[in-house]
Amino acid sequence: MSVASGNTRRRARRTWLTAYLFLFPGLLLFVAFRVYPLLEGLRLSFTNTRLGRPTFAYVGLANYWRLLEDTRFHVSLLNTAFYSVASTLPILAIPLIMAVALNRGALRTLLRAAFFFPFTLSVVTVGLTWLWLLDPVVGPFNYYLKALGVPVRSWLADPSMAMWVIILTSVWWVTGYYLVIYLAGLQDIPRELYESAAIDGAGGWRSFWAITLPLLRPVLLFVVVTHIIGSFQLFGLVFVVTMGGPGDATRTVVQHLYETAFQNFFQFGLASAMAWVLSSVILVFSVLQFRLLRGHTEH
Amino acid sequence: MRARSAVAQAKPTITYWNGLTGADGKVMDDLIDRFTRDTGIRVEQQRIPWADLYAKLQVSVPAGEGPDLALIHTVSIPHFANDGILQPMDEAQLASKGFRSEDYLAFPWQGGIVQGKRYGLALDVPQHLLYINKKLMKDAGFAGADGQPKVPASRDELVAMAKKITKDDVFGLAIGTIGPGRYTWGFYNLLWQNGGNVYAPDFKRSALAEPAAVEVAEFWSSLNTTLKIAPPGNANCRDAFVAGKLGLWLAGSWNFTGLREAKLDFAVAPVPRLFKKQVAWAGPHQYVFPKPKSADPAKRDAALTHMRWVTDNVVEWTLRAGQISASKKSHSDPRIAGDPYLKAFLAQSNNWYFGQSTPKWVTAENLVRPVIESVYVGQKPPKAAMEDLARQINALPD
Repeated sequence: MSVASGNTRRRARRTWLTAYLFLFPGLLLFVAFRVYPLLEGLRLSFTNTRLGRPTFAYVGLANYWRLLEDTRFHVSLLNTAFYSVASTLPILAIPLIMAVALNRGALRTLLRAAFFFPFTLSVVTVGLTWLWLLDPVVGPFNYYLKALGVPVRSWLADPSMAMWVIILTSVWWVTGYYLVIYLAGLQDIPRELYESAAIDGAGGWRSFWAITLPLLRPVLLFVVVTHIIGSFQLFGLVFVVTMGGPGDATRTVVQHLYETAFQNFFQFGLASAMAWVLSSVILVFSVLQFRLLRGHTEH
Repeated sequence: MRARSAVAQAKPTITYWNGLTGADGKVMDDLIDRFTRDTGIRVEQQRIPWADLYAKLQVSVPAGEGPDLALIHTVSIPHFANDGILQPMDEAQLASKGFRSEDYLAFPWQGGIVQGKRYGLALDVPQHLLYINKKLMKDAGFAGADGQPKVPASRDELVAMAKKITKDDVFGLAIGTIGPGRYTWGFYNLLWQNGGNVYAPDFKRSALAEPAAVEVAEFWSSLNTTLKIAPPGNANCRDAFVAGKLGLWLAGSWNFTGLREAKLDFAVAPVPRLFKKQVAWAGPHQYVFPKPKSADPAKRDAALTHMRWVTDNVVEWTLRAGQISASKKSHSDPRIAGDPYLKAFLAQSNNWYFGQSTPKWVTAENLVRPVIESVYVGQKPPKAAMEDLARQINALPD
């Protein structure tokens, strides 16, 4: 062994140690607040733990079997999946169209701030505002529809409409956030590409399909993945606006989980099993999305 | 001077959790300030929405981090007593502070007892009432010569009156505050009036699939779907009443002070008899002692002193928060006895009922809400919905 190679190894070890020393505080917090609760949740899911009760027993897969028979859990999963799928296209498309329109406009900063504003509101504010806007008796929305001769209806009390209203409300709420992300992505696309395309005779539509969209793919991937993960965790908006109703028409998995854990006998074991099923679904969706879009994001 | 401050410092500070997050919380704040000025005992109050309060008690008390005093609903006591979250009250200690059964209305006094042990001492009785919009009643021809509105005496009369009031976007009757269809407590009025209940008397199965409950569910459904005398689901009935778009409104006494402050021209009547007997939903608030980590007699005495002080000064609570006290002494106060609205509150004290004493009550109630909502909006046929609900309740774990 030469002196030079020994020095190199020592240097490498020092670099490695230094890196981990810097990483240590972050890793410690990550383990304490992410990994440990995750594993503790997994352990709880195999028990009949009820919060506040001193004793519990390991019940194997009993909680998971109960979920197979829990029809309200199935309805909640289906509702959540419907929301995730049905809201993805508007969440992808509307902010993108707005971003392209605002990218070169003179009032860009002002309009960006205006569209971003709803995202700064809390979920309770957004929910209560829409609840009032759509109120079938005193709400302005129905008032103007009536003035136009359209029959008044309670959108949120109609089982076939309620989830669409939730989607509309969500789109209104988060459009500004995704708009800002798209705008940042658009700013990164070199202008020369558009100039070359224009010289070659490409119009605006052609440039959008051939340049903008392909180069925005990493941003689109980010938007889709974060939106899908967020939509599987939908809770606050539904809880404020419909409480999952009418009946169970807008009940989501997280609401079912919350009520199981904190309202219905504090069944932490069963709720933990739900949380793990939900996490697994999100994981599968996220991996699928990465697989589908990863190969196309390099340019 | 030094001696006096030493005495003041020796007074304990107690922690007190409640769910008084509305305008009533401000009233309680004022009462607590006055209590501290009078007694030197400091009260650290936390006002938490009811559902969160119950979750917090369930988590904090076993960890030894619960409050010295809490205010909860009567129906929640059996669950918390069963889970060891509450400590039974010492009857001798209560008597030493002057709390005696003869000073209380029997119904809320009994509500604090679970399986022979006292866990709660009632402060007040939130209840349901019939709010009446005087103008709409007069316009529909339901006002007497003295200008006072007629109060419906039967289900048929109520429906007939509501039909006459209903016109365009004005509705004759609503039950509940936001989302009339999902208003479990409003539904309970009718269920109990018809002799039904959530559980059969032996508590072994739900009674919600029995004919009495199904009949009520059918009436509940008809309000919005066939009779069309009630607002659609998800309407804000309080806003509708304030806007003059609701004639008769069956809702909680906690709405009362706000309506009076809004200077609305309204009357109040006991919940009318719509089925076999006259019953009105009531949910007394009860003082309870969450189990402490270790006994602290000074703090317990301070908590009892606070309960005594508020009970002695409860007139202000009734007048400003709109809740009739569980103790009878204040009822003869001229400010309460002479108030035409509060008189209606007391007039139905013999009709009050809060539900069955079982640890499963609140959880079962959470299952009732979405089902009666689906019945109200016409999503599910009443009989099938109630059978499904009974099945869900029967499947609850022990």
